[in-house]
Order: sequence, then structure tokens, then C-alpha cells
Amino acid sequence: MRLLHDFEYAEPSSLDQAAELLGRVGRQAMPIAGGTDLMPSMRQGLFAPKVVVSLKAIDELRDVAWDERNGLSIGALATLRSLETDPGIRRRFPVVAQAASTVASPTIRRTATVGGNLSLDTRCYYYNQYDDWRSCTTPCLKMGGEFCKASPGGKARKCFAAFSADLAPVLVALDASITLLSVRGERTLALRDFYTGDGARPNGKEDGEIITRVTVPKEKAAYRGVYLKHRLRGSIDYPTAAVALTLRPTPDPAVFEDVRLVISAVVTQPLVVKGVAELLDGKPLTEALIDEAASLAKKAAIPVANTEGERRHRKQLVFEFTRKAFADILEGAVK
Amino acid sequence: MNDTVAIERASKQLLRLTVNGRRHELLVEPRRTLLQLLREDLQLTGAKEVCLLGACGACTVLVDDEPALSCLTLALACREKKVTTIEGLAAQDGSLHPLQQAFVDKGAVQCGYCTPGMILTGKALLDETPQPTPEQARQAIAGNLCRCTGYVQIVEAIVAAGRPQGSCCGGGEPAPKGAGEYLMPETGE
Repeated sequence: MRLLHDFEYAEPSSLDQAAELLGRVGRQAMPIAGGTDLMPSMRQGLFAPKVVVSLKAIDELRDVAWDERNGLSIGALATLRSLETDPGIRRRFPVVAQAASTVASPTIRRTATVGGNLSLDTRCYYYNQYDDWRSCTTPCLKMGGEFCKASPGGKARKCFAAFSADLAPVLVALDASITLLSVRGERTLALRDFYTGDGARPNGKEDGEIITRVTVPKEKAAYRGVYLKHRLRGSIDYPTAAVALTLRPTPDPAVFEDVRLVISAVVTQPLVVKGVAELLDGKPLTEALIDEAASLAKKAAIPVANTEGERRHRKQLVFEFTRKAFADILEGAVK
Repeated sequence: MNDTVAIERASKQLLRLTVNGRRHELLVEPRRTLLQLLREDLQLTGAKEVCLLGACGACTVLVDDEPALSCLTLALACREKKVTTIEGLAAQDGSLHPLQQAFVDKGAVQCGYCTPGMILTGKALLDETPQPTPEQARQAIAGNLCRCTGYVQIVEAIVAAGRPQGSCCGGGEPAPKGAGEYLMPETGE
């Protein structure tokens, strides 16, 4: 069996202890929650922290709570399965439950956490490989090399690794905020701003920081939404193309406000498609308008040869998914 | 936990856990996975080592009665937990668990590599949903690959093991007709 590298293991019983330990050890420590992303990555030699700090004994981050004033609050250690099955989420934010249900396999969703999904590493054929595979060639940009090997011609000086977390597109569309804690204090920022767009360093989580919770404003409970994801195997896989759509209904069933379209897996971050709100807010949704929005989404997609699926196909999927997302909403197939 | 970060060799830690009803106390390297602990230290080779990435389900065991991928679980993360492997499913006298028997009866075992993971995942489903539909059974084993592709028999076995067994429900009422039953589309059996 491929052994993991040697590391020390700590299991602090409180959030403060965990933050203190992570702060003290600095960049050589990494937190682990469900471990379903970190364990394979450590096995492949992508990360080799000297200290692994387990968060699993911290009960205070496991809750999923709704509050009429503050909206939805999800602890970072809530499992994806708990989102999928939570009656409150299924009633108020069915799109969140739906997105959670598309992550990996049912067994992994029992272990994998919300914080882990939101800080999921970006993925690429040239990156997610064992070290002996990677050592047969020069390192890619994400591993310290000069160029992105997946980019056309292999000459780009920007990392195009695919954003692959299924919860993030939906939560970004719903204007969620993320809270992080470290010995330096607590900070909360829009989830949208948490993501950098740089495949090599996809999010702004700093050394020593722990994701503690994600919140969704209460107004968003009235919204409708849908998440569509293409993957190689329907039973378990990362997305090769994905679209999240959320919108606020109006008395007219064909008219919506605050239309938010987010694409993922064909870009390096959950990307809000620009111009969609201006195009569609307050107007009756027609086939022509929806096609126009789908074209905007397709144009924003920059799939490179970093995962399964041909690039043009993945780009076209974004177009088709956008149309299907609107059709699902208009036909009432999803809440 | 040492205060110093410059570690030459990570220190072993004490791990107490219960595996198949037996208490164990072991000194374990932090990097050791639950799968290594089971297979190499406890000689319980039922859980299989296959993809080591969480993509196949062959290493599935039950941790506190929930399916977990033992290749992605650190052994030390199982402190004071109850682990069940395929070796712990049969009764003391060796008689098979109803789900194991159903796998035999339905011919759901081919090469056998996926079988321990399939059965333990199926058992967790049956614990939560005593009479699963074929669709629920298929959903439950979505993360378990069978490269012999014998999924039809596996789903049949899980559904059959969930079928009410006459006396199991207090002996009184007969099971509602059709509940938990799976009819073969061709034969209607």
C-alpha cells in the first residue's frame, strides 16, 4: 500500500485549541475534517503537512440552523449528507440540498463536510497524480513549474485547474458569506470573494485559518434555484461542467428578479456570469432571452484539457445546462 | 503533541477501539489508515485495498454503524469507535447474516472483491430503511464499484434481505402485499 508521509496528529477538543495549534505550527500544519479530499491528496504527495489537526472533536461547528433574523447558518463540520437530508434546508433551500446530493458518493457524503467542500482544491489531469507520475515530466504551474500544461499549447502562465466543489456555485449564487477563524481573529467575507480565480491557489484561506461557518441571508429562502452538473459517472464524480441558477419569483410566473447564473468546473472559480441580471431581471423569460443568457454563460466558460470530456463539448454543456435550468424553473420541475 | 515542529519521526499514539465486538488497545503511527490497521495489524483482510482514492468502495467498513471508506480514514480518527468489518457480520455460531445469505442465494458474488463493501453498505441501508426499494438499494451502493458488473444480483440480494420474514414483525400481521418486493421485469417473479 502507498504509505502516507510521516506526520504528527492532534485532535483538539475546542475551536480555540485548534486555532491556537494551527497558528503556532503555521504553514506546516493542515486541518482535516472528513478527510475525503485531503487524504487522497496527501497520498499523491500534493500536500505533506508535518502536523495534521483533526477538527472532528469540535462539536460546535456541526449544526445547521435557521433563524428568522439571520437566515441559514451551516457549521463547517456539518456533513454533506446532513445538508442533503435536513428538513429545514430541503424546505427553504432545496437547491442547496440538491447540490449537496450530487457530491461524490453516498458513503463519502456521510464523512465529507461543508467546510471541506468549500475549500476543495481545484483539479487537473496534470496535478491530481501520484508523485511518481508527476516526476516523469516537468512540474506544472500549480506544482511550482513555469507553465500550465493543460492550457492550449501548454504555454499559459496562469493555472487553469478546474473548480470542482458542487456546493460553492449554489452558495455563491445565494450570496452566502463564509466565516474563518484564526489566532488573529475572525473574519467574514462574501463567499464569492473567497475564491481567487487562480487555479493554483483557488481560495483565500490563509495559513492557520479554519472555516467555521457559512451563512445564507434569510431573503434567499424565497428564491428558487437549480444546480445542473455533468460528470463521467452519475454515481460518483467531480463535475466536468456545471451551472447554478437562482432567482426571485414575482407574481408573474414568467418574470423573475435578481437572476443569478454561476458556472463551474469549466473555470477556476464559481463564476457569476456577467450581464445575466441586466438581461433578464423583471422581464418575461422568452426563449430568445434565455438563449442569450446561455450564450453569455458559454462565452464565459474556458474549459481546458484538464478533466474528462472534450473541451467544446464541455463549453456546449454550459449552454445547454443554462437552457435546461431555466426550463426546469419555468416548468415548475424544481422549487 | 510535541511543541517542536521539527519532527524526525512522528510519535505513535494510543488508540482504543472496538473491532467486531473485540476491544483493542494499540500504539499507532498517525499516518496509519484504518484500512492498514485492519488488514495489516489485525489481519482482518475482508476490507479490500483497491483505488485508495475513495472512488471504488471496496474498503468500506462500518464505523459506529455508518459506512466509511477505511482507506480515507486515519486509524487515530477512530478512537473509542465501534468498527465492524465483514468478518464481524456473521453470528457467533458461524451462521451468516441474512444479507450475506441473500448474496449467496441470489448469486451476487462473482470475483468477490467488491462484496465486503457491498454487503456493509447494504447493511447500513437495511438498518435505516428495513424494506428498501431497488432504487434505494441502487442509490445506496452508488459509490461501490463491481467490475464484474453483477449489479442486478447485488440489488436483488439487498432488496431480498429487506423482505419481511414472517415472524420477524411480532408474528401478527402479514406484510403488506408488494412491500419490499422486487419483481423481475421479464418473469414477474
